[in-house]
Amino acid sequence: MNIRALVARPWIWGFAAAVLVWLIIVIISGQGGGQTVSLALSLAPYLVVVGLGQMLVITAGPGNIDVSVAPIISLAGFVSVAVTASTGSAVVGILAGVGVGVVVALISTVAILGLSVPPIIATLAAGLIASSVTLSLANGFTAVPDAGLRQLLNVRPAGIPLLAVAVAGVTALVIVLLRRTIYGRSLIAVGQNRRAAERAGIPVARIIATTYLASGALAGLTGSLLAAYIAPSADLGTRYLLDSVAVVVIGGTLISGGRAVPVGVWGAALFFILLDGLVNLVGWSTAAQNLLKGGLVLLVLFLAGGGDRVAGTPSRFRRRPRPAAATTTTTGDNSHG
Amino acid sequence: MHVHNLPAEPFAAPRGADRGSSDRQPVVVARHVTKTYGRTRALTGVDLEVRAGEVLGLVGHNGAGKSTLMRVLAGLEACDEGTVTVGGRETSGEAGPRAAAFRGVRMAYQETSLCPDLTVAENIWVSSRHCLPRLRWRRAAGDAARRRLGEMFPGHGVTSGDRIEDLSLAQRQMVEIARASLVDRLDLLILDEPTESLGPDAARSLYDYVRGLTAGGVAVLLISHRIREILSVADRVAVLRDGAVIADRPAAGLGEHDVLTLMGAQVADRAGSEPAAAAAGEPADRPVMAELRGATGSGLHDVSVRVGAGEVVGLAGLAGQGQQEVLERLWRPARRDTRVHGSRAYVPGDRQRSGVLPLWTVAENLIVTAMRGIARHGLRRPAEERAAVGSWVERLSIRGGPDAAMTELSGGNQQKVIVARAFASTADLVLLDDPFRGVDVHTKTDLYQLIRHEAAQGRSVVWYSSENAEMAHCDRVYVFRAGRVVAELAGEEISEEQIIAVSFAESDGEQSHE
Repeated sequence: MNIRALVARPWIWGFAAAVLVWLIIVIISGQGGGQTVSLALSLAPYLVVVGLGQMLVITAGPGNIDVSVAPIISLAGFVSVAVTASTGSAVVGILAGVGVGVVVALISTVAILGLSVPPIIATLAAGLIASSVTLSLANGFTAVPDAGLRQLLNVRPAGIPLLAVAVAGVTALVIVLLRRTIYGRSLIAVGQNRRAAERAGIPVARIIATTYLASGALAGLTGSLLAAYIAPSADLGTRYLLDSVAVVVIGGTLISGGRAVPVGVWGAALFFILLDGLVNLVGWSTAAQNLLKGGLVLLVLFLAGGGDRVAGTPSRFRRRPRPAAATTTTTGDNSHG
Repeated sequence: MHVHNLPAEPFAAPRGADRGSSDRQPVVVARHVTKTYGRTRALTGVDLEVRAGEVLGLVGHNGAGKSTLMRVLAGLEACDEGTVTVGGRETSGEAGPRAAAFRGVRMAYQETSLCPDLTVAENIWVSSRHCLPRLRWRRAAGDAARRRLGEMFPGHGVTSGDRIEDLSLAQRQMVEIARASLVDRLDLLILDEPTESLGPDAARSLYDYVRGLTAGGVAVLLISHRIREILSVADRVAVLRDGAVIADRPAAGLGEHDVLTLMGAQVADRAGSEPAAAAAGEPADRPVMAELRGATGSGLHDVSVRVGAGEVVGLAGLAGQGQQEVLERLWRPARRDTRVHGSRAYVPGDRQRSGVLPLWTVAENLIVTAMRGIARHGLRRPAEERAAVGSWVERLSIRGGPDAAMTELSGGNQQKVIVARAFASTADLVLLDDPFRGVDVHTKTDLYQLIRHEAAQGRSVVWYSSENAEMAHCDRVYVFRAGRVVAELAGEEISEEQIIAVSFAESDGEQSHE
């Protein structure tokens, strides 16, 4: 693979930006960069897990987005800590958290498929239900996270967190899912052209349902782990709404669907975590941080809209396929990395 | 531009006064035009002249370069070498939708250039805003659209407030043609397969209108696969082959056979399709694969259709008489009056909207249906998939091979991929929704053979076609009119004349055109 082929890979930019931010941090702080990387690797996996779920949803095509991930993370945090405390098993607690995510996603799915509610509204409504349950749970909540699980999440042999390795494994599984399984190929087909996928015999409704449930489960998993790592709170998941969408988009996944880039989620997540570190180092406020992040997402969408996205936009609005020269950017594999 | 005379008399009244039709000046002239996309040489040196007041017919296989030539002549793309002269002005390098020189050249696309979410009037604004008033443009555009549609297609049933998405394919095509013709100064109107989605009545009234246009000095460039239609309408016929114009003849005295030969087709005699008659003899013996019993509702009235195993059943008649509703029921058998045994596959006719998966390669597009059957436990088996793709690409000689991007292919080759997608699966029943619109003769012949061959292997095919001649390849044909089956033809009875006769049989009273 030569340099040009590498540059054409959509996931490269997240990593490039992460390296750039890392270099700036090293220069400003004047300390060794190893510790910064280690810290970023221990925070990024949470964002990657929820981001992978969001990526699957966005890949399902125009209009698909899951805005219930943030409330799910908060709720799953409480539920998993409570269940762990009452059963004494962290595994059961995590499973309960995942289950909460699936239940909330089930509400969204029924609304989307059964009642034809637009996904953004359906997941918003399901998220509201989750938040109100969270609030009632948070009232007088006394259980503390499992110490064993917290220790496990903090294990860093040779500076590399165990969790990062595990989540890298999950990412690899998602890549295999998208490339090698019927579900993955069907999802990508649905995302490119839903009508064509339906006529090609793909059970569109089942694929969409599976995707939202997977996103809910992954958000639930994130919440369970995060609550053990930090502590359960009502706004545990708040920042993950914008961030999960942002890492997907910056990672090179097409916002219009049909192309998923799991590795890109990693690059973008590291970039975001390092950016947080840099902004804290410089001493900016949270408001300024969000301003910066929002601006970055818009910038990426603007840049992508100028090239890749337009050439690959499903043809509904185009009268003719683009001549060969214009489409070369989208001819590669649809699940890079 | 010349906007001042618009509110009173908008849009292209034929201007016979300032341009006598006798001198026949060239409107658009292309000289040695070449165009290359990546590895594909789409145009290899085209010389073509379109003169004022004439209809020039342009024919050629898919992939011969018609679409590219149209885009160059309409100023949507600059050519690599050579010159395009519009109205006496050379336009070297000037191209793009806003190029001023090409303002008088308008094009109606086969796959329509309308925005599906906008209304008819809003779509008119999109392409003709330079000749609409700034205020109250909606009413002006709506009036203009209504008037033009009325002139071109009496009884079109479109109102200017309709959203494009809610219109039928035929109505969309009408709006597209009207849209293209609505401009303050029309020099050349390019019609790309204008009648593929239209019924015969609409086609006839369109051509009447075209003759009126040319009488007023406008040039019309007509592209169609329906050679008879071209010969009856055009003054001159140009044949495009491998990116160059290889013949340019007056239409008078030219026969369909001559044109086909010029295009390089081996004219397949339809009498050569022997199996049709032979197989139709014993319909009662065949096990029933799918059945509609007295289906009524959503556009159908008491329709009974029976499909036997290994049978090719045609659904014929004028466009939009209920044939697609039958396919829809067979594809998703939800009601009790429909029974389907075995698995199904569907070949859509509107390939851009419901066929092509634009980000994928040919191989990925082709195998997407069959991969379910090939896979084990939800996991794909790449080696088997590759083998299947390879054999289909070879069997239908799909240009570009399995690794070409789907959107790089010409329309005919895209259609081959989508047909192969259905037949590569293990489906017992294959539903064809008029899939050969705008496909060249050569490809069609290959695909007809494929259908007969697959039926001989025991597959059932239900085939809706707006091309009556295609029905000769069926074992049995149901002719539809207004949601009812008006005739069932079998074997020898199936002929174009017969189908047309029954399609119009009941309509003589209401439609006085005949």
